[in-house]
Amino acid sequence: MLWLNGFYNFRIVGQYLNVFIDGMLTTIWLSLLCLVMSFFFGIFIALMRMSTLGFVWRIAAAYIQLIRSTPLLIQIYLIYYGLPALLPFGNIFDETQTAIIALTIHTTPYMGEIIRTGIQSVDKGQKEGAQAVGLNSFQSMYYIILPQAIANITPPLIGQTAILIKDTALFSIIAVPELMGAGLTMFSETVVATESYVTTGICYLLIYLLTLILSGYAQNRLGGTAWRSN
Amino acid sequence: MAVKLMGGMLEMADIVLAKIQITINLMPFLMQGLLMTFKVSILAILFGSLLGFVLGVVRTLGYRPLTAIIGIYLHIFRGTPYLVQLYIIYFVFPSFGVGFLNFDSFTAAIVSLSLYTSSYVTEITTAAIYAIPRGQEEAARSCGMSKAEALIYVVLPQSLKMMIPPMASIYVVIIKSTAILSIIGISELTRQGEVAILRMPGDIMFVYGLIATMYFIYCYPVLRFAKWAEGAFGSIGSVQDQES
Repeated sequence: MLWLNGFYNFRIVGQYLNVFIDGMLTTIWLSLLCLVMSFFFGIFIALMRMSTLGFVWRIAAAYIQLIRSTPLLIQIYLIYYGLPALLPFGNIFDETQTAIIALTIHTTPYMGEIIRTGIQSVDKGQKEGAQAVGLNSFQSMYYIILPQAIANITPPLIGQTAILIKDTALFSIIAVPELMGAGLTMFSETVVATESYVTTGICYLLIYLLTLILSGYAQNRLGGTAWRSN
Repeated sequence: MAVKLMGGMLEMADIVLAKIQITINLMPFLMQGLLMTFKVSILAILFGSLLGFVLGVVRTLGYRPLTAIIGIYLHIFRGTPYLVQLYIIYFVFPSFGVGFLNFDSFTAAIVSLSLYTSSYVTEITTAAIYAIPRGQEEAARSCGMSKAEALIYVVLPQSLKMMIPPMASIYVVIIKSTAILSIIGISELTRQGEVAILRMPGDIMFVYGLIATMYFIYCYPVLRFAKWAEGAFGSIGSVQDQES
């Protein structure tokens, strides 16, 4: 293994292993939290977008377009500098909380669009059937349409989750101690670029591998192989 | 009361005038940045599309080892954030000791962004080729065309048309990714904005708002085009569909 040392010194990496593991854990729980929150808000955005009331769907559409056509980096800066100025009681959020807010605001429209296509993909007869047996519109949405919609949109949802995990890397810029931050910490302390950044990349690939395994499991569990062929 | 109201309105007018003044002063500087963003994104989409197209076509030919290698390539570029790729290409590649890998920041930006783009384009190309019914190729082969002829004259023209909508959405992703290049000091739009903020620290929000507007003006037409193209040319599913 000694020949490897010239290029990739694993002894230095060993010293920083706990930093990287901490970073990986932070990245994972940060993305999980943002995933749950943006999915929850995404349902509301999707419903708003499908509303027939002009001012409701226009607000949702404007929000979706604004987020989709500006870079995440700019959104992070705007929220990082703007949130303390907007709130009456000043800066109550630390960097990690700001990051969670920013990423949730960023991901919600994408989730909303995915959920909207899912809801629209459910056959119209399902809703009519639900109404025919006496469910009100909330019940038919909650019990009949959303479960089918979510089963239909699992593949793009998993794709968006992968993007979400990669997006958390940008929060190293506002000093959130996640995986990329771990790499930057190691680089600033040891000045060995290869070890720092290649290790960061490998850690991200490990998380990616984890999502691949989980998504395969979820796909088999949720819908079997019936809809996977299309 | 009326005097107070007048005073308030005058104050408002003052603030608005001051903001307009800042906008006019900053515009040439920010336009330089927008031009750089445009240049970088066009070059990246050009090289990335070429590489991605070739890889995508090769992937459908069915040579096992090549398919596997391209698969690993895609997983590596899909599984890591662009920021990490940029850092590895800019900071790690020079340490290999190979002369031409010693990129300056502009080359590193173009190379990393092109590779990143190519990973998306490969997926799109593969999906677009598989979206053409097999009967098309079989009919072409039974007319006496060779495998290459069938691909070039029959399959690819049809799949190129289907590639237009997802390519437009990818273009938006790439434009947005160029913001990250500000970290390695490319003087594109975000970087120019940061420099402007160093000059006038009181207007952080306003300057970032201006930059966001400029990105919006650049990206929104492309997004609208993507949506229109989806109606006009049909869709092979969004890019995210193919990610998993």
